[in-house]
Amino acid sequence: MNADILLRSALAIAIIIVGIFGYWLLNQRLLVRAKSNIFTLFSQLPNKPVIVYFTTPDCAPCKTVQRPALSRVSQLLGDSLQVIEIDATQRPDLARQWGVMSVPTTFLLDARGEARYVNNGVTRAEKLMEQLESLSDYSI
Amino acid sequence: MISQTLQKVDHAALKANQLFIISLNILAFIFDQPWLAAFVALVMGLGSAFKVPGFLPVYKNILKPRGWVKPDVLDDNPEPHRFAQFLGFVFMTAGSVSLFLGATVLGWSLVWLVVALAALNAFGGFCVGCAVYYWLSRFQLPGFSKQPPAGTFPGMKPKAGVGA
Repeated sequence: MNADILLRSALAIAIIIVGIFGYWLLNQRLLVRAKSNIFTLFSQLPNKPVIVYFTTPDCAPCKTVQRPALSRVSQLLGDSLQVIEIDATQRPDLARQWGVMSVPTTFLLDARGEARYVNNGVTRAEKLMEQLESLSDYSI
Repeated sequence: MISQTLQKVDHAALKANQLFIISLNILAFIFDQPWLAAFVALVMGLGSAFKVPGFLPVYKNILKPRGWVKPDVLDDNPEPHRFAQFLGFVFMTAGSVSLFLGATVLGWSLVWLVVALAALNAFGGFCVGCAVYYWLSRFQLPGFSKQPPAGTFPGMKPKAGVGA
């Protein structure tokens, strides 16, 4: 009985891992897409990490969680970080080009303008900081 | 795009429903309890009958009042979500019946299919059942009259404000 439950648990975990891997692949596709669209935002490389934040005026979690989190990160890092906020209702072309499917969505770009992380949904300041710290060319 | 009136749809209630479906089905699989899968099918069936997410009472009476889940109200069509739940109910019923008849591989495969689709909706924001609904509406099938909110890919969670 216990062995059966263990076996089924392992199988369930394996299925979930396959699902997560599929989701990771989807995110990688978004990052590749973002890389090819970097010059839709900049005419030249930013030379510092950038957070590209897609939002809409009526997005409640954007107002209550995402924007305060971004403000906190901006305050901590000052001029060494650039945050670009894009209203997806005003710029649906950019949202489409970047493959944004829901808001909030945040892309983290390194100093070379390469998209390194994409967060679908609300992302807390701590996670954003972790992601920024992990950018190899950026130390906080 | 045909002009249409959108309604307020609480996507947090839909997400809570999906998370319950995912959790209970995984537990049903791990502990090999077809009755639990049948219970999920029953709840989804009742939800379809009453035109609400099956696990809405849990969201409404426990999760929301305690602030564990915050409402995420968007302008959207509720019909595709109801249809998606009904599709899930059909798959879950078929899965449960298969399990009770001893066709365990088929039964659990159907249950996992529902888990995968619910997870895609909950974590990826893509509702396959809704996409099927919008696909059927393109063929002007009776009962499938709604169009996706403006600027929204069929089946994707609407961007807040786009349909307003």
